[in-house]
Amino acid sequence: MNKITRSQPDANVPENLLVTPLFALFLINAMQVGVGILGFESYIAKDAGYDSWLSILIAGAGIHLLLWMIYQILHDTNGDIVSVHREVFGKYLGGFLSFIFSIYLFLLSLVVFRTFIEVIQVWIFPRLQLWFFTAVTLLLIFYLVHGGFRLITGLCVISVLLTLPLLLLKFFPIQAGVVTNLYPHIDHSILELLKAAKTSVLGFLGIELLFVFYPFIKNPNNSKKWAHYGVFLTICIYMVSALASFIYFSEKQLEQVTWATISLWKIVEFPFIERFEYIGVAIWLYVVIPNICLALWAASRIPKRIFKVKQIYAVACYCVLLYIGSILLNERRELEFLNTFANWIGFYILMYIPVLFLLKKLRGIRRKADE
Amino acid sequence: MVRERRSRNQSNSNQGNVHSFYKALKESNDFEIYTLTGKTSCVISYLSTISEIKTLNESILPTLKGKEFQSLEEIKANIPVENIRISEKAEDIKDRVLNGHIAIQMSQKDKQALLIPAFSTKGRKVGIPEVEFSVVGPKEAFVESLEVNVNLIRKRLHTPNLIMKEVKVGTVTSTRVAVLYIDGIANPKNVQTVIQRLKDIDYDQIIDSSFVTQMIADNSNSPFPQLLDTERPDRVTEALVEGKVSVLVDGSPHALTCPTTIVEFFAASDDYFLPWHLATVFRLIRLFAVIFSVLSTPLYVAILTHHHEMIPEELLATIISSRADIPFPPILEVIILELAIELLREAGARLPAKIGQTIGIVGGIVIGTAAVDAGLTSNVLLIIVALSALASFTTPVYQIGNTIRLIRFPFIIGAQMWGLVGVSMVMVFYIGHLIKLTSIGNPFFAPLYPLRFTDLKDAFIRLPFDKQSKRPVQTRPVESTRFDPRETNKKRDIDE
Repeated sequence: MNKITRSQPDANVPENLLVTPLFALFLINAMQVGVGILGFESYIAKDAGYDSWLSILIAGAGIHLLLWMIYQILHDTNGDIVSVHREVFGKYLGGFLSFIFSIYLFLLSLVVFRTFIEVIQVWIFPRLQLWFFTAVTLLLIFYLVHGGFRLITGLCVISVLLTLPLLLLKFFPIQAGVVTNLYPHIDHSILELLKAAKTSVLGFLGIELLFVFYPFIKNPNNSKKWAHYGVFLTICIYMVSALASFIYFSEKQLEQVTWATISLWKIVEFPFIERFEYIGVAIWLYVVIPNICLALWAASRIPKRIFKVKQIYAVACYCVLLYIGSILLNERRELEFLNTFANWIGFYILMYIPVLFLLKKLRGIRRKADE
Repeated sequence: MVRERRSRNQSNSNQGNVHSFYKALKESNDFEIYTLTGKTSCVISYLSTISEIKTLNESILPTLKGKEFQSLEEIKANIPVENIRISEKAEDIKDRVLNGHIAIQMSQKDKQALLIPAFSTKGRKVGIPEVEFSVVGPKEAFVESLEVNVNLIRKRLHTPNLIMKEVKVGTVTSTRVAVLYIDGIANPKNVQTVIQRLKDIDYDQIIDSSFVTQMIADNSNSPFPQLLDTERPDRVTEALVEGKVSVLVDGSPHALTCPTTIVEFFAASDDYFLPWHLATVFRLIRLFAVIFSVLSTPLYVAILTHHHEMIPEELLATIISSRADIPFPPILEVIILELAIELLREAGARLPAKIGQTIGIVGGIVIGTAAVDAGLTSNVLLIIVALSALASFTTPVYQIGNTIRLIRFPFIIGAQMWGLVGVSMVMVFYIGHLIKLTSIGNPFFAPLYPLRFTDLKDAFIRLPFDKQSKRPVQTRPVESTRFDPRETNKKRDIDE
C-alpha cells in the first residue's frame, strides 16, 4: 500500500488547491444537470408515458447507490481512478482502462458542447457561423480550464445558484396545463418503467467525475453527505421539469417535442419581455460551460496522471479535438448517433462501477486473508 | 513591477562620506551651509525650504552663541529641542537632512553630525471628504501628510496594539510608506505579504497611493482594483478593526486597505450610519444600479439586433416610433452615445468645477436633445445611456466606477456578435476572472466563492450590529469574535 502511494506522488494535491466538502454538492449537481435536462422528457415518456416520473425516482435511487459505491472504492484507495485502476489491474491494463475513461470524459464534453451549439442553432441563430462561434467558445473554455480546479468549482457554484431560480418559471406551464395528467395511471408494466428508468439514468450521468476530483476535496469523508444532497437536488430538478412538462403536454405531444424545457420557456410572458427562451438559452450557457470545463479538466487530468505529461498540453489537445469534432458533426443524424453512442458508453461506465466495487472488495478480503 | 530588488543603489557612492552628498546639495540654492563663528565654532547646514528657521533662530543659535562647547554631546545636552541625535552614518545624515533636520558638525571634515529635527509642515488642512461624501457620519478626509493621516487614524483607535511599520519605497523619491494593522486581530500572514511586496517594489518614484495599488496588486492586468482606496479615516479604522491591513503613502490623501472583496466596493460608509433595513435597501439599489449600468446598453443592442421577437407588442410600438428615422444600426447608435458620455465625463473631470457645470449643461442637454432632433439617436437609447451613466456614479468607491465604465464595452461587442448568448459568454469570462482573482492572497470573489455564509451578513445585505458578532472570515483574523452573541441576544420573556 505504501509503495503504491509513493510511486505516484502526484495523486496528492497541494493543500491550497483543495476545496471544502460542501462544494461536492455543487460539483455533482452542476455536472449532472447539463443539456440533457432540456429535452429528456420525450425520451422517457416514449417508454412509460405519464408514469415515467416513477422511473426518475427509480433511476435516482440507483444513482444514490452508485455514488455510495464510488465513495467506498475511493475511500479505500484514497486516490483517484488512476490509482484505483493501477491497484486493481496493474500498471498497463489499469492505465489503459483509465485512458478509456479519459476518452469517455472527452466524449461527454463533446456531446454537451455540440448539443448546446445545436440548441443555439435551432432556437436562436439558424445561420450561426459555426467555425467562429466554436472557436471563441473554446478559447473561453480553455481560459477557464487553465484557471484550474478551484476556478471550475467556483463556476459550478455560480451555475447552480444562477439557474435554480429558472425553476420558478415552471409555474407558467403548470398554470396553463392540466394537473389531472399527474393522477397515477399505472398503465405501464414494471418492465416499461425500468426501461424508462434506464433512459433517465443517462440524465444523471456525471457522478463518475468524482473518480477524478475526489483527491481535490478536503476531508473527502465529510463530502459524502453533500454529494448525496447534490444527487438529490438533481433528482428534484428533473422531477419538477418532468412534472411540469407532463402537466402541459399531452402524451402524444410529448413524443413530438425535442426540447420540452425550452418549449415551456416560450410561453413565459412578462409585461416587458416575451419569448423567454432566448434568455433561457443564454442563461443555460452558465450551466453548459462549467459542465464542459469540468469534463475537460477531468479528461485532461487522467493523461497527466498516467503519462506524466503537462495537463495544459492535454487540455489544448482535447480542445483542438473538440473543435474538429464539433465542426465535422454537422447533421442532426450524426448528432443523434453521437448522443446514442455516448449514452451507451455512459451507461456501461455506470454499470462498470459495481464491477469495480466488487473487484476492489474482493481484493480487500484477499489481502486481509493474506495477512 | 514587484520583483527581486536589484542591489542597485544609487546612494552607494555616497556611503561613508558625508561630503559627497553635500557636494550634490551645494548645487541647490536652498541649501545653506556656513561656519558659525563666536564662542563655539561649528558648521551648520540645512535645507532652507523644508527646515523651520524658527527652530534655528530661537533654540539653536542662542544656545550656541551663549556658551563655549567642545563636543557635539555637550551641544546636544544644551539645546532645548527634543529628539536630537548624533550620527556618523552618511546615509542616516543624508536622509535626515533631506527630511528637514538641521545638521551641526564641529568642523567640515568631521564625520559626526548632530541632527536637530526642524521639519516645517506646510500643506493642506484636514478637509471634508469630496469623493466619498456622506450626509451623516464623520467629515474628515485624509490629507497629503503621512503624520496627519496616521494621527487621524490613531485618534479613533485608542489601542496600543495599533502597529505602524514604515517602509521606504522608490529609488529616487524614497517615499515613506506606512503599513498599519492591529496586532492580535490582523492575520500576520497578510501583514507579512504586504510588507514584503512593498519592499520588493523597484521603481524610481511613488507619487501616490495608486502607484502602490498597481504595484502590489496580485494581478496587475486586471481591470478590477484589488486594494480598496479610501479618503475616509473612519473607513480605514473600521477596516483595521475587522482585521485588515492599511497602507498609507506619504504625499497621498488616500489610504489603501486590503485584503478586500468585490462586494466591499459597493458598500458605502453610510450603510453603517443608517438603520440596517434602510442600509440594506440602499445597498441593493446600488447593486442593481451597477448591474443596470453594465448590462443595459448591451441588452439594448442584443435585443434590437438579434431578438426583436422578445419585445412585447405595446413596447415595440414605442421603440419603433423612436427608432424609425435613425439611419444607423443599434450598435453604431450605442457606440456613438456611449463615447459621447465618456467624452463628457473626461471633459468634466479635467475642468475646474465652475466650467464643468457648463460642460454638463452643454453636453447633457444641448447635445442630447440636438442628437435626438437630428435623428442621430433614438430617445429611448438616450434615456438608457443617461440612466446607466447616472447609475455608474452610485458606486461609493471611485475606482470601481472606472472599472464599470470599462467593462461595459466587451459586453456591447458580445451582444452585437451573438446577442444574449454573447452577453452571457462575456459574463462567464468575467465571473471566471473574478473567481481567479485574489487580493493579497485572499479570494476576491468571496463571500460568493468560496461560499462563506457567515460573511453574507455584510455583503449584499447588512444585518443589524447584534448579528455581526464575528469579524469577516475573508481577512482570516487572529481573533474573530467581536462580542459574545449569547449574552447580547438573550431572549427576554414578557415583562422582565
